[in-house]
Amino acid sequence: MKKIKIITFILTVVLVTMVAFFGVYIHTQNRMEDKVKGYSYAMDLEGARVIRLKLDSGNRTVIKDAEGKEVQDADNLTDEELTEKGYTKEEQPYNSEDVLNKQNYETSKSIIEKRLKELNVDNYIVKLDETNGDIIVELTDNDDTDFIISSLTPIGKFEIIDSQTQEVLMDNNDIENVNVMYGAGNSTGTTNATSIYLSIEFTKDRTKKLEEISTNYATKEDSDDTTTDQNTESENTTTDETSTENEEEKSKEITMKIDDEEIMTTSFDEPLRTGLLQLTVGQASSDEKALKENVQRASGMAIVLDCGNMPLKYSLEGNEYIFSDITDEQMQIIQYVVLAIIAVALIVLIIRFKTLGILGVFSYIGLASLFLLVIRYANVVLSIEGLFGIGLILILNYILINNLLSKINKQKEEDISEISKDINKKFFIKIIPICITVITFSFINWIPISSFGMVMFWGILLMAIYNFIVTRNILSIKTQR
Amino acid sequence: MKNITTKNKILIIILILVIIAGILVTANIGLNFDLRYEKSQKIELNLGKEFETSDIKNITNEIFPNQEVIIQKVELYKDTVCIIAKEITEEQRNNIVEKVNEKYGTELVAEDTEIFSIPHTRGRDIIKPYITPFVIATVIIIIYMAIRYYKLNSIKVILKTIGISILTQLVLLSIMAIARIPIGRITIPLVIIVYMLTLIGITTRFEKNLDQIKEE
Repeated sequence: MKKIKIITFILTVVLVTMVAFFGVYIHTQNRMEDKVKGYSYAMDLEGARVIRLKLDSGNRTVIKDAEGKEVQDADNLTDEELTEKGYTKEEQPYNSEDVLNKQNYETSKSIIEKRLKELNVDNYIVKLDETNGDIIVELTDNDDTDFIISSLTPIGKFEIIDSQTQEVLMDNNDIENVNVMYGAGNSTGTTNATSIYLSIEFTKDRTKKLEEISTNYATKEDSDDTTTDQNTESENTTTDETSTENEEEKSKEITMKIDDEEIMTTSFDEPLRTGLLQLTVGQASSDEKALKENVQRASGMAIVLDCGNMPLKYSLEGNEYIFSDITDEQMQIIQYVVLAIIAVALIVLIIRFKTLGILGVFSYIGLASLFLLVIRYANVVLSIEGLFGIGLILILNYILINNLLSKINKQKEEDISEISKDINKKFFIKIIPICITVITFSFINWIPISSFGMVMFWGILLMAIYNFIVTRNILSIKTQR
Repeated sequence: MKNITTKNKILIIILILVIIAGILVTANIGLNFDLRYEKSQKIELNLGKEFETSDIKNITNEIFPNQEVIIQKVELYKDTVCIIAKEITEEQRNNIVEKVNEKYGTELVAEDTEIFSIPHTRGRDIIKPYITPFVIATVIIIIYMAIRYYKLNSIKVILKTIGISILTQLVLLSIMAIARIPIGRITIPLVIIVYMLTLIGITTRFEKNLDQIKEE
């Protein structure tokens, strides 16, 4: 019975090891497919999306009146019409000489980093060329990467201006924070529709100013083309729809601009006293895909506005996926080296503890194999830190097995269960600070750190359970008289 | 000081000397950064077919003898190679293109291959994401240590934990500075491993002391 139990244990370990190291191949569509889940790698081991942001060297056309004041909404005028009105066209660089300095390069870099952080990007590297302001961003490649990249280049300039006089009423400096909110939809007539709102919260001292603006630019009763919803949110009204007869009576309107692009022209249904301005993004919908798009758009806008405006305009110069320079061959070499070290260490155990050592070795191999399967099925993303975590777990488990075998060898007459309990207790008390670090690291939204944390978490958990159940029992069987 | 043995005294003196030497080396010639984090230059060659990194490595070994070079495959089809070196002159670029053309039968034009500059990564940018997790973990550990080993005098326990943790990290960084080991991708994992092993060492020592007190 004793022999059967030991043989069963050894065969189980061999089976788990085969599965963990070689996989389970099943014939699928004329090819053999490994059904065991593969490892997920972080960008240092897999590859990264590398984007190059270059300072925009282009110009923008500015139309000025006779007094040299910038004229808005004159883009559609022909040259003759411009001359007739006394307007002149000027080409202005997006990034004039006076803004091209190290301080602005640094500010742009920090804003990009802030945006990446707000976008919850879990691994990135931002490099700044201080000589020409070029910025290189390396980030993890996934479904959201394109959206993230699109959120890096906007300047994030926010303005609320008087539609007629072009006077700037509010800008980025007045914003406290920007959030994305959900609400019951009302514009499509669809039941269960959801609207996505961009909620702009202004600073405390500008709340009064917002109230003033919303009062001065209130919707007149006969201004029929302005709509508001239950959330006191202002909806878009287009000025060209207004009839000429009631032009005089029409409400004064504000224009909201992001990066000089008109987002909406509107008036207010009622004064805004809370310092909050809610804008609908897209149309209310119950369609998951449409909602996701709206949320993403709103999140992008919120993050761009929330992180402050960039002092320089950047354009996307390069965007490519670059594989890690750590090749499969190099990974294999590392694996062989680690396996060789483990083999030597395990041979030492066998030499020192003979039959008990052999069982200890099988127990060790069983845990290592199971551990490699667990980190795959627990979706742990492996970074270089994670690989070191695997190494540390293998070392810790070796120390634990070695301590256990030494104690059993010394106190042959004592109950194995008691010895195992005592050794495990002492060992895990010693690694409590490591457990604290591991749990802390697991919650950090930075892949290299969380990878180490998660690998160690599963490793320590497995060590506790496996050694308590499997190792203790198998060694007990061996020493049974 | 009465508990410090001669052996320990020698060890402490050696560690202090290592740290001083590390500080002097860092202050005078700075740390040795891996090419990945250094200011460098790169070229990209679209071969239009899959290639072996080792073949490209042979070419770069001829053109950049005894220099660190990073070779990476680009894009989904892995048919473009990215070669990064500390500095790539026009002549070196021309040679690479010529040898690649010879090897793969491509007709790449050297003049069309742009040499891009890659700025360096600042040391503070590398360590920034790790500061908060380390601080949070250390604070919790210190609180735990102070409670668990209150019989050993919480203040002493806290000071020893902080002191030894900082000391081991300084020794590690000093050794890296003195031995000119490049600060690269394995530096942070090494720091974490040393931190973990230090914690095990500290708790083992405190547990031993605690057992002695219990026995007494």
